[in-house]
Amino acid sequence: MDGDKIFEGGDIVLMVLGSESYGEKSVEIAAGLSQKSVCYVTLNKTYESMKDAFGKHKAKMENVVFIDGITKTIRSLPNNETDGCYYATSPAALTEISILVSKCLHHKFEYLVFDSLSNILIYQDKAPLARFVSNLANQARANKARAIFYVLESERGEEVKLPALKCGASF
Amino acid sequence: MAKTIMVVDDEPDNVTTVKTVLEKNGYKVVTAVNGDDCLKKLPKQKVDLILLDIMMPGTPVRDVVQKIKGTKIAYLSVVRVSEAEKEDMLKSKNIVDFIQKPFDIDDLLARVRKIAGK
Repeated sequence: MDGDKIFEGGDIVLMVLGSESYGEKSVEIAAGLSQKSVCYVTLNKTYESMKDAFGKHKAKMENVVFIDGITKTIRSLPNNETDGCYYATSPAALTEISILVSKCLHHKFEYLVFDSLSNILIYQDKAPLARFVSNLANQARANKARAIFYVLESERGEEVKLPALKCGASF
Repeated sequence: MAKTIMVVDDEPDNVTTVKTVLEKNGYKVVTAVNGDDCLKKLPKQKVDLILLDIMMPGTPVRDVVQKIKGTKIAYLSVVRVSEAEKEDMLKSKNIVDFIQKPFDIDDLLARVRKIAGK
């Protein structure tokens, strides 16, 4: 799926992915965008696993910078950043993640991919999450970047209501 | 005497499913809603194996694991990690298995039997 199709409804998109296809689709979409520069925030796949997954999809890794908010919760790391990745303390560290996204977007990234809002809901209520998403969406707009926020389709059929976003597609 | 398994997960549905299956197969099951709850309950009973969800609110799982001494732990993980990271984690002295979610319940049971015994 190319960027034009994803963003035909607007520059900030909420993408609802079914649990069956989530793992594959979330990577495939972002890998497709990697022809241009991508800032990828991952809260459920470690940077090391993302390198493998992007490699399988022949993504242009040199165009992608990762913000990894999960690795530090499960193992020790010697540094807060490596080549191609910044590490946040945890998926609950919204201010830290926001600062890292801001840092990246100032370097004129074309796309921000946020994977995923569902993971934050494990740690935060909907109100702070909505403020956080609104903040990131505004940052993306201010830096003329397009943004995709992934959310996992709820098995219970509950709606994710985030007024800051347009629901772009579901798979 | 029945082996005791502690199931640590913030998703009540997951806990109920795993608890039901393990109890039907002769295990005693205790539960905890997160890592902090696990650390609070652990000194009060002998546990043969902890099934520990990797993504929960509260203290990060890395810190929880460091505080657990002498009890085997199997990670239940919705987080995708690389093979190298998995191998690295399994080198820790009390991490004995890494079970990717969603898991097959029969597979989980087989792994529990292998680690904790019947």
